[in-house]
Amino acid sequence: MRKLWVVAKHEFLKITRKRSFLLGTLAMPLFFVAIMVLVVVVLVVGEDQRPIGYVDQAGVLATVTALPPDEGDGPNPVELQAFTDEAQARAALEAQEIQAYYVLPADYLTSRDVQLFYWEKAPPNSAQRRFNNLLRANLSTSLPVEVAERAQKGVELTARSADGRQEVGGDSIINIFVPFFIGLFFSIVVLSSGSYLMEAVSDEKENRTIEVMATSMTPGQLIGGKAIGLMAVALAQIGILAVTIAISLIVGAQFIEALRAIHIPWSMFLTLALFFLPTYALIAGMMIGVGSMVTETRQGQQIAGAISMLFTLPFFVVVVFFSAPNSPLATILTLFPTTSFLTVTLRWGMTTIPLWEMIAGWVLVTASAVFMVWAASRIFRLGMLRYGQRLDLKSMLRAVRTGTEG
Amino acid sequence: MTTPTAMVSHLSKSFGAVRAVEDVSFEVYPGEIFGLLGPNGAGKTTSIRMMLDIFTPDRGEISVLGGKMDEAKKNRIGYLPEERGLYKDLKLEPTLIFMARLKGLSDAEVKRRLPDWLKRLDLYDHRHKKIQELSKGMQQKAQVIATLLHEPDLVVIDEAFSGLDPVNTRLVEVIIREQQAAGKTIIMSTHQMHQVEALCNRIALINKGNTVLYGEVDQIKRNFAGNAVTITGQGDFLNVPGVLEARQVNGDWHLSLASGASPQDVLRTLTARDGIKIERFEIAEPSLDDIFIWTVQGRQEPDHA
Repeated sequence: MRKLWVVAKHEFLKITRKRSFLLGTLAMPLFFVAIMVLVVVVLVVGEDQRPIGYVDQAGVLATVTALPPDEGDGPNPVELQAFTDEAQARAALEAQEIQAYYVLPADYLTSRDVQLFYWEKAPPNSAQRRFNNLLRANLSTSLPVEVAERAQKGVELTARSADGRQEVGGDSIINIFVPFFIGLFFSIVVLSSGSYLMEAVSDEKENRTIEVMATSMTPGQLIGGKAIGLMAVALAQIGILAVTIAISLIVGAQFIEALRAIHIPWSMFLTLALFFLPTYALIAGMMIGVGSMVTETRQGQQIAGAISMLFTLPFFVVVVFFSAPNSPLATILTLFPTTSFLTVTLRWGMTTIPLWEMIAGWVLVTASAVFMVWAASRIFRLGMLRYGQRLDLKSMLRAVRTGTEG
Repeated sequence: MTTPTAMVSHLSKSFGAVRAVEDVSFEVYPGEIFGLLGPNGAGKTTSIRMMLDIFTPDRGEISVLGGKMDEAKKNRIGYLPEERGLYKDLKLEPTLIFMARLKGLSDAEVKRRLPDWLKRLDLYDHRHKKIQELSKGMQQKAQVIATLLHEPDLVVIDEAFSGLDPVNTRLVEVIIREQQAAGKTIIMSTHQMHQVEALCNRIALINKGNTVLYGEVDQIKRNFAGNAVTITGQGDFLNVPGVLEARQVNGDWHLSLASGASPQDVLRTLTARDGIKIERFEIAEPSLDDIFIWTVQGRQEPDHA
């Protein structure tokens, strides 16, 4: 077992010390951070910080005049400034001392009309929300404290599927795109590490090191060590991105209201983790098989590209998932071993995937992975010593069937 | 009787329709340098691969270090394959550390042993270079280190000296002798007969997948004595009936005899020729080169041997 970990560590360090890996791994998080910083800068710098005025002709804003900062106010809550009459407020607006002003007419309590005056640009949502909060706070002063608080905060809506397995938070668009981006990133990481695995096997062949390896450990230890090392690479990439995204979202949520609506889909993470392991093993098995068959890494990369297509196919039909997430195509792709992982991920935010589909999909991908790893170890044993010879299909099938080189 | 360190008995292996090994048997004893000889494609490497559990034999028995190959035994074997290589885009020192760790050495032990080996083989100053930046000879020496660093009990070397210059060939010869002196068992597969003569105690010659010659080097040479004669003299020694090949070596004539031809017949023929003056005529001890060629070409040991 120790040799397996020696190989795993070796593979992990070999890849993570490459400049191309560092660039590839850090590029995405840095891109994400850059986008987040850009959005925040635009919001903070571009947001008008001048006060909002109000003219209370209805006399309803007299009780509560100062409002404590609310979580929806952003980092720099806009000040609310009372004016005794509209002329005074308009003068302040013309002098650009305030960005806008509200007028609550004398018949507000019956008409519920409120007027907002500004020049070219309406005040941001956070500023408007701040005035609404002030209005609610004053309107609810006569209510019991608990009722007043509830009335001020409004409702928190959670939509749940009838069988209770899935829930969707308030902002469903964001909760569709979170799984979408997770699926996209998982795919990139999983496929790049699968490609690394193919290279790791064909490199042994290309470098003529396989015989020494074969007399130092079992093929299982060699392949297993490489797979674990590369899975660690994939997890490191995922970890770096996950931490970056988490920090960016926490920081970004201080500035961007929409980010606060994101709900962490724990049940999705758990389900994806269950699908991730057999899917990774399936890719690993396929890539080991390819790496063992070819004579040069370059040849293998072409075949690896074709295999990647098998796993990323759901992205090409994602429009179908949007329009009909429970269509027969979606079901087929959920059940098909190479596409189940990504299909489940993409469908997650759009529908409640039937339980039988998920169980059947998982069983199929797991069974395929077990078979593929078993077959790959047989192909590997045969292919690893065929220097300069491409393994033909007939020999490969014989190796899988009989487990011998002959 | 001493238990052999390695034993293969009646091995056979086919790849599809091609029979790579038909019937190979030999035993290698502790502390000896054993030569595995044979022309290209004879089945030497396939036999070694079966012995080391890289290939599964179709038939036959194998015993290594007292029994079947297992994971613990792999740590006691050092193998320098004919198809040799190292990770070209990695640096020399970490590569050797990795390979030694796979042979069960601890990190600390590798780091204790490695500098001495690197210095001895003139690689110490190149330890931080990538393998691909090293010359072919340096890479060969690096692989010798990888083969021996874990101090194996059984060393299997396929074409030990290919790619080495004369200085490094001598160095590797010395190292092989040192390994033998330290009680290690060495199996060498090679074409280079002079090295076999210089190093090996016993040999097995494999031809067309069969063991065709097997035993002590000296005994084999004695068995083949009489198949060649050495003559000092003047005259035309070419085109003598019963002589396969005549060549001059250091002023003497070396005549390889055809099957069935006796030295006495050749002597009679030569003395009957005009213009021939013989100062010395002796039955030559054949070189392993001669024996190799005779055996591979289907010649038999002389009847009188």
